[in-house]
Amino acid sequence: MPPITRWFIKSGMIWFCLGVVLAFVAELPSVQGRALLLPVYWHMLVIGWITQVIMGVSFWMFPRKKRNRKKEQSALAVGAFYLLNGGLVVRLSTEPFLPLFTESGILSGVVIFSAVLQVSAILLYIGEIWPRVQPKAKRKRSKQGG
Amino acid sequence: MPVQSVWMIRLSLASLLVSAVMGGLILTHKAAPLHPAIWGLLPLHYELAIWGWLVQFVMGTAYWMFPRYLKAPGRGSSRMAGLMVALYNAGLVLLLLSSLMGSVKIPLALTGRGLLASAVVLFGGLMWRRVVSYRDR
Repeated sequence: MPPITRWFIKSGMIWFCLGVVLAFVAELPSVQGRALLLPVYWHMLVIGWITQVIMGVSFWMFPRKKRNRKKEQSALAVGAFYLLNGGLVVRLSTEPFLPLFTESGILSGVVIFSAVLQVSAILLYIGEIWPRVQPKAKRKRSKQGG
Repeated sequence: MPVQSVWMIRLSLASLLVSAVMGGLILTHKAAPLHPAIWGLLPLHYELAIWGWLVQFVMGTAYWMFPRYLKAPGRGSSRMAGLMVALYNAGLVLLLLSSLMGSVKIPLALTGRGLLASAVVLFGGLMWRRVVSYRDR
Protein backbone atom coordinates (compact mmCIF):
# COMPACT_ATOMS: atom_id res chain seq x y z
CA MET A 1 0.00 0.00 0.00
CA PRO A 2 1.62 3.33 -1.05
CA PRO A 3 2.14 6.04 1.61
CA ILE A 4 -0.49 8.36 0.08
CA THR A 5 -3.10 5.60 0.44
CA ARG A 6 -2.18 5.16 4.09
CA TRP A 7 -2.57 8.91 4.67
CA PHE A 8 -6.00 8.95 3.03
CA ILE A 9 -7.28 5.86 4.86
CA LYS A 10 -5.96 6.89 8.27
CA SER A 11 -7.31 10.42 8.04
CA GLY A 12 -10.57 8.90 6.74
CA MET A 13 -10.75 6.82 9.91
CA ILE A 14 -10.09 9.88 12.06
CA TRP A 15 -12.90 11.81 10.29
CA PHE A 16 -15.21 8.83 10.79
CA CYS A 17 -14.59 8.83 14.56
CA LEU A 18 -14.88 12.62 14.80
CA GLY A 19 -18.08 12.61 12.72
CA VAL A 20 -19.75 10.07 14.96
CA VAL A 21 -18.68 12.00 18.08
CA LEU A 22 -20.02 15.22 16.57
CA ALA A 23 -23.33 13.52 15.73
CA PHE A 24 -23.55 12.62 19.43
CA VAL A 25 -22.68 16.17 20.52
CA ALA A 26 -25.33 17.57 18.16
CA GLU A 27 -27.97 15.61 20.05
CA LEU A 28 -27.07 17.14 23.44
CA PRO A 29 -29.94 19.35 24.66
CA SER A 30 -27.58 22.28 25.35
CA VAL A 31 -26.29 22.21 21.75
CA GLN A 32 -29.44 21.33 19.78
CA GLY A 33 -30.52 24.16 17.51
CA ARG A 34 -27.72 26.52 18.58
CA ALA A 35 -25.10 25.60 16.03
CA LEU A 36 -25.22 24.39 12.44
CA LEU A 37 -23.80 20.91 13.06
CA LEU A 38 -25.88 18.72 10.73
CA PRO A 39 -24.15 19.68 7.44
CA VAL A 40 -20.76 19.54 9.15
CA TYR A 41 -21.05 15.98 10.37
CA TRP A 42 -22.65 14.80 7.13
CA HIS A 43 -19.61 16.14 5.26
CA MET A 44 -17.25 14.64 7.84
CA LEU A 45 -18.79 11.23 7.10
CA VAL A 46 -19.42 11.44 3.35
CA ILE A 47 -16.32 13.43 2.32
CA GLY A 48 -13.97 12.97 5.27
CA TRP A 49 -14.55 9.26 5.62
CA ILE A 50 -16.22 7.48 2.65
CA THR A 51 -14.89 9.64 -0.19
CA GLN A 52 -11.43 9.86 1.32
CA VAL A 53 -11.15 6.07 1.75
CA ILE A 54 -12.32 5.61 -1.87
CA MET A 55 -9.70 8.11 -3.03
CA GLY A 56 -6.91 6.41 -1.08
CA VAL A 57 -7.81 2.94 -2.31
CA SER A 58 -8.15 4.11 -5.93
CA PHE A 59 -4.64 5.65 -5.86
CA TRP A 60 -3.44 2.21 -4.79
CA MET A 61 -5.55 -0.08 -7.00
CA PHE A 62 -6.04 1.81 -10.26
CA PRO A 63 -3.44 1.07 -12.93
CA ARG A 64 -0.72 3.69 -13.22
CA LYS A 65 -0.10 5.30 -16.59
CA LYS A 66 3.61 4.61 -16.47
CA ARG A 67 5.15 1.70 -14.62
CA ASN A 68 8.31 3.58 -13.66
CA ARG A 69 6.15 6.05 -11.69
CA LYS A 70 5.11 3.27 -9.32
CA LYS A 71 7.22 4.46 -6.41
CA GLU A 72 6.76 8.17 -7.03
CA GLN A 73 4.34 10.15 -4.93
CA SER A 74 2.01 12.05 -7.28
CA ALA A 75 1.92 15.80 -6.59
CA LEU A 76 -1.78 15.87 -7.53
CA ALA A 77 -2.61 13.15 -4.99
CA VAL A 78 -0.60 14.86 -2.23
CA GLY A 79 -2.24 18.19 -3.09
CA ALA A 80 -5.69 16.58 -3.00
CA PHE A 81 -4.93 15.17 0.45
CA TYR A 82 -3.86 18.48 1.97
CA LEU A 83 -6.59 20.55 0.30
CA LEU A 84 -9.37 18.12 1.21
CA ASN A 85 -8.36 17.77 4.83
CA GLY A 86 -7.44 21.45 5.18
CA GLY A 87 -10.80 22.40 3.66
CA LEU A 88 -12.68 20.12 6.04
CA VAL A 89 -10.80 21.44 9.09
CA VAL A 90 -11.47 25.06 8.10
CA ARG A 91 -15.13 24.25 7.39
CA LEU A 92 -15.58 22.39 10.66
CA SER A 93 -14.14 25.26 12.66
CA THR A 94 -16.19 27.99 10.98
CA GLU A 95 -19.49 26.81 9.43
CA PRO A 96 -21.24 25.92 12.73
CA PHE A 97 -20.72 29.50 13.94
CA LEU A 98 -22.31 31.21 10.92
CA PRO A 99 -25.76 31.57 12.58
CA LEU A 100 -24.13 33.05 15.69
CA PHE A 101 -22.07 35.73 13.90
CA THR A 102 -24.24 36.67 10.94
CA GLU A 103 -22.51 40.01 10.35
CA SER A 104 -18.92 38.74 10.41
CA GLY A 105 -17.29 39.27 7.03
CA ILE A 106 -14.12 37.47 8.12
CA LEU A 107 -16.04 34.34 9.14
CA SER A 108 -17.92 34.34 5.83
CA GLY A 109 -14.65 34.76 3.94
CA VAL A 110 -13.07 31.81 5.74
CA VAL A 111 -16.13 29.62 5.05
CA ILE A 112 -15.92 30.50 1.35
CA PHE A 113 -12.19 29.73 1.45
CA SER A 114 -12.99 26.26 2.83
CA ALA A 115 -15.36 25.68 -0.10
CA VAL A 116 -12.59 26.65 -2.54
CA LEU A 117 -10.15 24.26 -0.83
CA GLN A 118 -12.58 21.33 -1.02
CA VAL A 119 -13.55 21.89 -4.68
CA SER A 120 -9.85 22.25 -5.59
CA ALA A 121 -9.09 18.95 -3.83
CA ILE A 122 -11.75 17.22 -5.95
CA LEU A 123 -10.27 18.74 -9.11
CA LEU A 124 -6.78 17.48 -8.22
CA TYR A 125 -8.12 14.01 -7.43
CA ILE A 126 -9.94 13.82 -10.76
CA GLY A 127 -6.83 15.15 -12.54
CA GLU A 128 -4.79 12.28 -11.09
CA ILE A 129 -7.29 9.44 -11.46
CA TRP A 130 -9.03 10.24 -14.79
CA PRO A 131 -6.10 9.20 -17.05
CA ARG A 132 -5.81 5.95 -15.09
CA VAL A 133 -9.40 4.97 -15.94
CA GLN A 134 -9.22 3.48 -19.41
CA PRO A 135 -9.95 0.18 -21.18
CA LYS A 136 -7.20 -2.44 -21.04
CA ALA A 137 -6.62 -2.42 -24.81
CA LYS A 138 -6.12 1.35 -24.88
CA ARG A 139 -3.79 1.18 -21.88
CA LYS A 140 -1.67 -1.47 -23.63
CA ARG A 141 -1.49 0.68 -26.78
CA SER A 142 -0.45 3.78 -24.82
CA LYS A 143 2.26 1.79 -22.99
CA GLN A 144 3.62 0.42 -26.25
CA GLY A 145 3.66 3.93 -27.66
CA GLY A 146 5.96 4.96 -24.79
CA MET B 1 -10.58 -2.40 -17.04
CA PRO B 2 -13.82 -3.29 -18.93
CA VAL B 3 -15.44 -0.51 -20.91
CA GLN B 4 -18.59 -0.60 -18.72
CA SER B 5 -16.44 0.11 -15.64
CA VAL B 6 -14.63 2.90 -17.50
CA TRP B 7 -17.99 4.52 -18.24
CA MET B 8 -19.33 4.10 -14.72
CA ILE B 9 -16.16 5.38 -13.04
CA ARG B 10 -15.80 8.35 -15.39
CA LEU B 11 -19.47 9.30 -14.98
CA SER B 12 -19.05 8.99 -11.22
CA LEU B 13 -16.03 11.30 -11.29
CA ALA B 14 -18.01 13.81 -13.36
CA SER B 15 -20.87 13.56 -10.82
CA LEU B 16 -18.40 14.12 -7.98
CA LEU B 17 -17.11 17.27 -9.65
CA VAL B 18 -20.58 18.70 -10.37
CA SER B 19 -21.78 17.81 -6.87
CA ALA B 20 -18.68 19.42 -5.30
CA VAL B 21 -19.17 22.62 -7.31
CA MET B 22 -22.84 22.73 -6.27
CA GLY B 23 -21.83 22.11 -2.66
CA GLY B 24 -19.26 24.90 -2.89
CA LEU B 25 -21.92 27.26 -4.24
CA ILE B 26 -24.37 26.32 -1.48
CA LEU B 27 -21.72 26.83 1.21
CA THR B 28 -20.73 30.17 -0.32
CA HIS B 29 -24.39 31.20 -0.43
CA LYS B 30 -24.74 30.26 3.25
CA ALA B 31 -21.83 32.57 4.14
CA ALA B 32 -22.59 35.39 1.68
CA PRO B 33 -26.06 35.19 0.07
CA LEU B 34 -25.79 35.09 -3.73
CA HIS B 35 -29.26 34.14 -5.01
CA PRO B 36 -32.22 32.42 -3.28
CA ALA B 37 -32.45 29.87 -6.13
CA ILE B 38 -29.14 28.36 -5.01
CA TRP B 39 -30.93 26.47 -2.21
CA GLY B 40 -32.75 24.62 -4.99
CA LEU B 41 -29.44 22.89 -5.79
CA LEU B 42 -29.41 21.09 -2.44
CA PRO B 43 -31.38 17.94 -3.53
CA LEU B 44 -29.27 17.72 -6.71
CA HIS B 45 -26.12 17.98 -4.58
CA TYR B 46 -27.30 15.00 -2.45
CA GLU B 47 -28.47 12.84 -5.35
CA LEU B 48 -25.28 13.41 -7.34
CA ALA B 49 -23.06 12.73 -4.32
CA ILE B 50 -24.82 9.53 -3.29
CA TRP B 51 -26.11 7.99 -6.55
CA GLY B 52 -23.90 9.72 -9.09
CA TRP B 53 -20.59 9.47 -7.22
CA LEU B 54 -20.46 6.96 -4.34
CA VAL B 55 -22.77 4.18 -5.50
CA GLN B 56 -21.79 4.39 -9.17
CA PHE B 57 -18.05 4.39 -8.39
CA VAL B 58 -18.40 1.33 -6.15
CA MET B 59 -20.52 -0.53 -8.74
CA GLY B 60 -18.07 0.26 -11.57
CA THR B 61 -15.06 -0.80 -9.51
CA ALA B 62 -16.74 -3.99 -8.29
CA TYR B 63 -17.69 -4.96 -11.85
CA TRP B 64 -14.03 -4.57 -12.81
CA MET B 65 -12.31 -6.15 -9.78
CA PHE B 66 -14.46 -9.04 -8.57
CA PRO B 67 -13.29 -12.56 -9.54
CA ARG B 68 -14.09 -13.44 -13.13
CA TYR B 69 -15.70 -16.66 -14.37
CA LEU B 70 -13.23 -19.36 -15.34
CA LYS B 71 -14.82 -19.54 -18.80
CA ALA B 72 -15.32 -16.64 -21.21
CA PRO B 73 -17.00 -14.19 -21.06
CA GLY B 74 -15.21 -13.58 -17.78
CA ARG B 75 -17.64 -10.97 -16.49
CA GLY B 76 -20.85 -12.44 -17.90
CA SER B 77 -22.97 -10.79 -20.59
CA SER B 78 -21.34 -7.51 -21.62
CA ARG B 79 -24.65 -6.42 -23.24
CA MET B 80 -26.40 -6.74 -19.90
CA ALA B 81 -23.60 -4.77 -18.27
CA GLY B 82 -23.97 -2.06 -20.92
CA LEU B 83 -27.73 -2.00 -20.29
CA MET B 84 -27.05 -1.65 -16.56
CA VAL B 85 -24.85 1.42 -17.16
CA ALA B 86 -27.45 2.96 -19.49
CA LEU B 87 -30.42 2.32 -17.15
CA TYR B 88 -28.52 3.58 -14.13
CA ASN B 89 -27.51 6.85 -15.72
CA ALA B 90 -30.85 7.43 -17.43
CA GLY B 91 -32.46 6.95 -14.00
CA LEU B 92 -30.01 9.36 -12.44
CA VAL B 93 -30.71 12.05 -15.07
CA LEU B 94 -34.48 11.70 -14.55
CA LEU B 95 -34.00 11.91 -10.81
CA LEU B 96 -31.98 15.11 -11.19
CA LEU B 97 -34.57 16.58 -13.55
CA SER B 98 -37.32 15.73 -11.06
CA SER B 99 -35.42 17.62 -8.36
CA LEU B 100 -35.29 20.67 -10.63
CA MET B 101 -38.96 20.62 -11.67
CA GLY B 102 -42.07 21.39 -9.71
CA SER B 103 -45.49 20.04 -10.72
CA VAL B 104 -44.40 17.34 -13.22
CA LYS B 105 -41.93 16.00 -10.73
CA ILE B 106 -43.73 12.83 -9.55
CA PRO B 107 -43.68 10.72 -12.78
CA LEU B 108 -40.07 11.75 -13.42
CA ALA B 109 -38.94 10.82 -9.93
CA LEU B 110 -40.84 7.52 -10.08
CA THR B 111 -39.41 6.61 -13.48
CA GLY B 112 -35.93 7.67 -12.37
CA ARG B 113 -36.06 5.60 -9.19
CA GLY B 114 -37.51 2.69 -11.20
CA LEU B 115 -34.65 2.79 -13.71
CA LEU B 116 -32.09 3.03 -10.91
CA ALA B 117 -33.70 0.04 -9.19
CA SER B 118 -33.68 -2.04 -12.41
CA ALA B 119 -30.00 -1.19 -12.93
CA VAL B 120 -29.17 -2.26 -9.38
CA VAL B 121 -31.11 -5.54 -9.78
CA LEU B 122 -29.25 -6.15 -13.04
CA PHE B 123 -25.98 -5.42 -11.23
CA GLY B 124 -26.91 -7.96 -8.53
CA GLY B 125 -27.66 -10.55 -11.21
CA LEU B 126 -24.35 -9.91 -12.98
CA MET B 127 -22.29 -9.98 -9.78
CA TRP B 128 -23.98 -12.70 -7.73
CA ARG B 129 -21.98 -15.66 -9.02
CA ARG B 130 -18.77 -13.64 -9.08
CA VAL B 131 -18.84 -13.36 -5.29
CA VAL B 132 -16.69 -16.45 -5.00
CA SER B 133 -13.30 -17.72 -3.96
CA TYR B 134 -11.81 -20.27 -6.37
CA ARG B 135 -9.04 -21.13 -3.93
CA ASP B 136 -11.43 -22.81 -1.45
CA ARG B 137 -12.89 -25.15 -4.05
